Amino acid sequence: MLHYLIKKSKFLMLLSQNALERNKQEPSQDDQNTPANLSQSLKTNLDLIKGVIGNNYDVVIREFSFDRQRQVSASLIYLSGMTDPTIINESILKPLMFESRLSSDSAPKLDDIEMIRTTMLSVGEVSKSANIDEIVDSCLSGSTILLVNNCHEALMIMTADWKSRSVDEPKTESVVRGPREGFTENLLTNTTLLRRKIKNSDLTIESIKIGQRTKTSVNIAYIKGLANPLLIEEIKRRLNDIKTDSILESGYIEQFIEDAPFSIFSTVANTEKPDSAAAKILEGRAAILTDGSPFTLTIPMLLIESFQCSDDYYSRPYFVSFIRMIRYLAYAISILAPATYVALTTFHQELIPTALLFSMAAAQEGVPFPALVEAMGMGVVFEILREAGVRLPRPVGQAVSIVGALVIGQSAVTAGLIGAPMVIVVALTAVASFVVPAQTDSGGILRIFFVVLAGFLGGFGIMIGLIGLLIHLASLRSFGTPYLSPLAPLSVSDLKDSFIRAPLWAMITRPRTIGWHDLKRQEFRLKPSPPLEEDTQSK
Amino acid sequence: MRLERGEISSSQLMFLISCFIQGGLYPSSLAYSISKHDTWLALIAAFIIGVFIVLIYIALANKFPGKNIIEINDLIYGPYFGKLVSLQYIYFFIISLSGYFWFIGDFVLTFIMPETPIIVIMTMFAFICAWAVRKGIEVIARLCVIFVFLPGIIILLTFALLLKNMEFTNFLPVFEVPLEDFIQSTNIIMHISVCEVLAFLMVIPYMNKPKQARRSVLLGIIGGGLILLTGTIRNIAALGPLSEIVTSPSLLAVSLINIGKIISRLEVLVSMAQILLLFIITSVFYYAAVLSVAQITKLQSYLPVVIPIGIIGIFLSLISYDSRMQFSYSTMYITPLLSMHIYIAIPLISLIVAKLRKLPQRNERN
Amino acid sequence: MKGLIKIIVTPLIIIILTLGTTGCWNRRELPVLGIVMGVGIDKAMDSDKLEITAQIIKTSELKSSSPEEGGAGGGSSSSAGAYWNVKNSGESMFSTIRGFTHRTSRKLYFPHNQIIIFGQSLAKQGIQECLDFLLRDQETRLEVLMLVAEDKSSDILSVKSHLEKIPSVGISELMDSQAANSQTIVIRLNQFVTRLMSPTTASIAPIISVQGKADNTELAVSGTAVFKRDKLIGQMNKEETRGLLWVINEIKSGIIDIESPDQEGRVSLEIINAKSKITSEIIDHKPYIKIDVKEEGNIGDQSCTASLVSPDAVAALEEKKNEAIKDEIESALSKAKKLNADVFGFGDILHKKHPKEWQEIKDDWDKIFPNLEVEILVEAKLRRSGNLGSPAAPPEKE
Repeated sequence: MLHYLIKKSKFLMLLSQNALERNKQEPSQDDQNTPANLSQSLKTNLDLIKGVIGNNYDVVIREFSFDRQRQVSASLIYLSGMTDPTIINESILKPLMFESRLSSDSAPKLDDIEMIRTTMLSVGEVSKSANIDEIVDSCLSGSTILLVNNCHEALMIMTADWKSRSVDEPKTESVVRGPREGFTENLLTNTTLLRRKIKNSDLTIESIKIGQRTKTSVNIAYIKGLANPLLIEEIKRRLNDIKTDSILESGYIEQFIEDAPFSIFSTVANTEKPDSAAAKILEGRAAILTDGSPFTLTIPMLLIESFQCSDDYYSRPYFVSFIRMIRYLAYAISILAPATYVALTTFHQELIPTALLFSMAAAQEGVPFPALVEAMGMGVVFEILREAGVRLPRPVGQAVSIVGALVIGQSAVTAGLIGAPMVIVVALTAVASFVVPAQTDSGGILRIFFVVLAGFLGGFGIMIGLIGLLIHLASLRSFGTPYLSPLAPLSVSDLKDSFIRAPLWAMITRPRTIGWHDLKRQEFRLKPSPPLEEDTQSK
Repeated sequence: MRLERGEISSSQLMFLISCFIQGGLYPSSLAYSISKHDTWLALIAAFIIGVFIVLIYIALANKFPGKNIIEINDLIYGPYFGKLVSLQYIYFFIISLSGYFWFIGDFVLTFIMPETPIIVIMTMFAFICAWAVRKGIEVIARLCVIFVFLPGIIILLTFALLLKNMEFTNFLPVFEVPLEDFIQSTNIIMHISVCEVLAFLMVIPYMNKPKQARRSVLLGIIGGGLILLTGTIRNIAALGPLSEIVTSPSLLAVSLINIGKIISRLEVLVSMAQILLLFIITSVFYYAAVLSVAQITKLQSYLPVVIPIGIIGIFLSLISYDSRMQFSYSTMYITPLLSMHIYIAIPLISLIVAKLRKLPQRNERN
Repeated sequence: MKGLIKIIVTPLIIIILTLGTTGCWNRRELPVLGIVMGVGIDKAMDSDKLEITAQIIKTSELKSSSPEEGGAGGGSSSSAGAYWNVKNSGESMFSTIRGFTHRTSRKLYFPHNQIIIFGQSLAKQGIQECLDFLLRDQETRLEVLMLVAEDKSSDILSVKSHLEKIPSVGISELMDSQAANSQTIVIRLNQFVTRLMSPTTASIAPIISVQGKADNTELAVSGTAVFKRDKLIGQMNKEETRGLLWVINEIKSGIIDIESPDQEGRVSLEIINAKSKITSEIIDHKPYIKIDVKEEGNIGDQSCTASLVSPDAVAALEEKKNEAIKDEIESALSKAKKLNADVFGFGDILHKKHPKEWQEIKDDWDKIFPNLEVEILVEAKLRRSGNLGSPAAPPEKE
């Protein structure tokens, strides 16, 4: 049996390797069929490009001629929805057609494409290339291509501008105090948002393109000198190893580069907020921004990051520390409460306080299902309600949750199908599971896992499950960083930002587990204190 | 070639040993029936003697840095006789492993779920331990950091909550038991808690700073020992003569806590701590057994022997122990004497032979 | 390959879990439990068998009657109530308890048991076997209350509580409130057994009895049962019990009535704080015991009209109180000596303080104890006089 499994999976691996190799070979074959470079003739060039992208609805090919004396014919190729018509009209066509006519007497030699680039175009980003693939790629990402007769090179003029969502408040991470802006689907906007937070020449944003068909731009942002160079090397290696045809969202990247693909815990963090991305970059992490996705990945991820929130650092430490503890408690409740209830009511009734046992026994009297079935059933019902609430339009979603929670819960109890305590436990679990949004999915799986263990082995089962969970967590690594740090392995100074949040002036060093060599974040003795009396008197 | 690629730091070793020692609280309850209310004295005596024995182990480990006990035996006694000595260690590790498997089964059966077949409990527990062992000593050491504080806090907390119920006159008259009983009790405690540190001869070589081994081991023993002493004092003071007849004084003592009918039934915390600590102890023995078997058979990796050793451990425990009474008897009267040569005589002889043959120096020259 | 290992490990978990599903060994859903709240153990009338009464709560009844209309004498609780007393008899404790399954549809569940009541006749015969079972069985908790019935324990359990739904809960609450008077000892299983295991100290337990007739019955605790080894040998009344409590440092609160020092009338003094210390000495192989009692209290009420707040009056009151406390202790001592039962634990104190000398006298303790010389020193203080200074009384006629 085992042998068969291994054989099977080896076969699958071979299969996928072959497919990859074939993918690698395919583009090179295409290269051989089509000439890679432009020729001298405008017409053949146009035909070439038309052959690649020509018969598309949104491709605009504008043929024109300039320079009254020589009548140089040229054409502009661009995608109508992805470019800014004002730039094309005002900064490309107008100088070429209109101003060249005016100045034609004095400057006759316009056949040199370099001349056009340097003297005629009032656009910021212009580059030239003869490679047809490169030209098509840049056209597809919003550049305008200028082809001139008798030139074997084309100009790629950056005119990209398309409708995108404006910067607004992120839906997934609401904060009480702190900046309201969130990343958008536009990569350039996102890098701008980051730059605006960190105005430092060391902030490096490197770009690569992933996805053989989608050609998605992916940026790696980090601070040179803070991020471990080995980490950056590793990220680049893993990104370059992604040989897939499409990257539509940062989630694709996450699943291709994570350390433990079989784990239910995510080892790559994501955020929608520029301020928390900047904070993580400033701790020595790297951020991966993906075009088309407002979710930025940050690497490496620690488990405690799920319990941190950007609000924590903007508010004063006491209440924040309390809330941190509440988050850990809520997560513990969300994964353990139903299991504990099942274990207590079916195995360890002696641990329930007597008065409570009376009311629980009274409520459970006449309920037809065992507690395990009740807990599993209610858990599934809750997940159904949640999913329905998420997918439906908001007003309908609210109606669903009211119908589900109130009507089903209430009538199930009055009909005697389930005990009222179980409804309370499931409701508490449901509410608690929303407290730590980053771990909602792992929590959902763990909850079922623990309920099953508790149903069969009671408290001992829960203990076994907990130990197993801890073994798994302790063995996880995210890009070389132990997932449970700073707790295990213990790093005492990093504990200042874990279960509690120490005052900002006390957090002198960056996290040791992530940081590399420049650990000092700030000076000592930053603790604010009122001026000494002598000073005020002297003033 | 190293079988274990992980490294542990000196503080992790300290926590590991502290966990290991604290876990002796439940097993050491066997000594209560012999030394009665003087058990705490026996405990102190056991730790003082135990520390000297542990110093022998560390001296041995320090003479051959980076070598585990199986390799050390080969160096000291030569390849053939060394294997013979190593086999005794392996026997000791596996027997201890099976003993602890039986222990967890017995503990769960007596106090948590009396009607469950013991094999289910043992299999579940062995499975978890095997998982941890597969992940390597580094993961076990990391878990210790989380586990070490929990039992300590629970013992200190219950101590504080039980102060109301404690009768410190229960310790009087001091040193009443006959001397031979006292020595026997000391030997039991020494065997159960301190001398099992022998298993760490398989762990110490994988420290990142081997020179700090002595400090971490001693600190771990002292820390764990103090917690153990607190627990023992708590049990005797709270239970009095009852502690001599019950099977688990800790659980019964803590079950007395009842503050305002709200803070009560805390024995669940004690059982949780006990399971966690037994997990650490069992995993370390499991690891030592697996690693030494892999070492002696010259395997490339220790992973293939993990599951076989676990199965052997479970079967051995099912074969060796019929009942709790028999288990208690053998742990009280047979094993401490039988295994004395493994944890005192052989290490001492090894150390002396190594000194006589001036081994480490010659090794360096090579 | 690393992933493959995990793919193999996951089925292993599933295999072990399915192994778990083949039998759910200790599973007991709440509705199948017969939760026992009180146990009464008697000797059967005509034979040597044990007769055990278990008080099981009826969970369905708990649900139906709202908590406001409990058993408070109204007509609503005319039904049997939320409990059921079931009896069974058998040879041994364990077989009798298991034998309940012949009579009840649910398995009896003991961890929430609040009280254990021994019938008088059984207590006289010896209760060692019962105690051994209770300690050995993991379902019994150590803090269960021990009581001795004046007659049969089953009668006690069938008396309805007027304030609580379950009689056993009523009894356990009743015992909790005894600290206000300190005239009854509250003994839990572990304390009882600790005393039982001592070679000299006698076990004690409160006595509970049924008062009133026919429909209007109620329960009352009064006095203390004294055991020698595991057999009941005698009783102490309320005053003697408080004397005992003074010595063993168990006084929480209480009222001491004394005669007014100057006039006709009585003064009630409330005990606020009390401490005792027992010291021992062995001189010429003869043990001596000294009891030091320190007490603090307030004036609770007075029926005389004289003001008692002057320093002289306070000193006189303290003197009277000293005597009252001393009287109580002496009455307890004489009763204990009469029964030859070392309820105070003097033997253990001597053993702990003088282990060597104890070896010589321990075998003769039964002869020594009735003639033991005990010195009693009481130091009582008056601290406060409540809201009043002078009494609320018409002015004195000169």
